[in-house]
Amino acid sequence: MALKNNIEFKGTKDGLIIHFNEACEYEKLKEQLIEKIENARSFFKGARIAGIEGKSLSSNEESEIIDLINNRYGMIMVEKPITLSKKEEVFMGLDEGITRFIKSTVRSGIKIEFKGNLVIMGDVNPGAEVVAYGNIVVMGTLRGTAHAGANGNNKAFVSAIKLVPTQLRIGKFIARAPDNGCNDPKYPEKAFIKDDMIQIEPYITKSR
Amino acid sequence: MGEVIVVTSGKGGVGKTTTTANIGAALAMQNKSVVVIDADIGLRNLDVVLGLENRIVYDLVDVVEGVCRLKQGLIRDKRFDGLHLLPAAQTKDKTAVSPKQMINLCKELKEMYDYVLVDCPAGIEQGFKNAIAGADRAIVVTTPEISAVRDADRIIGLLEAAEINNPMLIINRIRIEMVKKGDMMNIEDMTDILAIDLLGIVPDDEYIVISTNKGEPAVRDEKSMAGQAFRNIAKRLIGEEVPFMDLEIQEGFIGRLAKLFGISK
Repeated sequence: MALKNNIEFKGTKDGLIIHFNEACEYEKLKEQLIEKIENARSFFKGARIAGIEGKSLSSNEESEIIDLINNRYGMIMVEKPITLSKKEEVFMGLDEGITRFIKSTVRSGIKIEFKGNLVIMGDVNPGAEVVAYGNIVVMGTLRGTAHAGANGNNKAFVSAIKLVPTQLRIGKFIARAPDNGCNDPKYPEKAFIKDDMIQIEPYITKSR
Repeated sequence: MGEVIVVTSGKGGVGKTTTTANIGAALAMQNKSVVVIDADIGLRNLDVVLGLENRIVYDLVDVVEGVCRLKQGLIRDKRFDGLHLLPAAQTKDKTAVSPKQMINLCKELKEMYDYVLVDCPAGIEQGFKNAIAGADRAIVVTTPEISAVRDADRIIGLLEAAEINNPMLIINRIRIEMVKKGDMMNIEDMTDILAIDLLGIVPDDEYIVISTNKGEPAVRDEKSMAGQAFRNIAKRLIGEEVPFMDLEIQEGFIGRLAKLFGISK
């Protein structure tokens, strides 16, 4: 029974994924893997292996397994990465999602990173960096660098009571402050991507 | 094959960064290809003095860690074609880079540029050791103050211990009228104590404050005395013989008039 649980094969559209039980020793796993494949040689012949997961292997162990798969049993190892890391998904909680509040000014040399939305209750000074997977809202003056949608969400925005950043990044887009330094907005603004460009607009459209 | 020159001082606030920026720009004006490296990780300034802060995407630490390619880390100056900047990281500290990594980096940059100028942080700790690791030559900056000269002397000793021989001296922020009155150390006093070759004397100049705040190197301004001094220093680095500036021009009516009309010797 123990043998069954230590190694599992999972079918995916890219091929089979071999899942190792983390608690089991490598030597044992190798032995059992050989045994399993031996038992169903014809089934495994020519099979595509999309990855190995569950247990972190040393590079030596890794290459041994790959060798086994590729050369001994005529299976095909798809791609190179052997330990399939869980792919991080683009943060989608822009309208409603996890948010962190920073209750102070972010000074030069500090980098704040969060895998969600970020609200800064203070200023972000030059030389400081705020990076969020979601939106960034600065309840003060943004003078430093801000990167919203940092893992690829181009719909994220950056807003500030006074938006005068050194550099702005949204998703994969970058914009920098004008060199003449004549940038002194009198109202709160937000930056977002429109037509593949970072654009800045006031977000209170009507004055009272 | 270019050469790596570290700009150092020991004491803070004597003008290492301003010197690096201006010599870099002046060398570029002489049609040399130059890269200036900010080795002051955690307290970067060189980007601000050059007015390039808003262009930073990758920095020195990203380059040595292999996060980006060397070329991606280099920022092209907006005024001088031959000038590039490799900025320091602001959110890391001096331990983020090792002397060995700096040696390799300098070696690579030497192949690409005529001059590699390294702006050294103040102090004699890790940051200093990193900055001098890949250097072929050194420029020691001092001001006419006993404390700055004392620190410069210590630095010269440390440079010699690291087998960077014959460092060159720049005396920064001198005020000739004060020297004359005996209120300020004179040049001979300093060269006597430090006993190294004098590369240049830079007068105290209000324009430096303006240029630093604007992110415009002073060497671009014909009227700036300090700018002229830095242009001369760059020429001497290249190997030209340039006599030391006559600092007396600042004094007297004629001198002021000359300055007003942008005539400098």
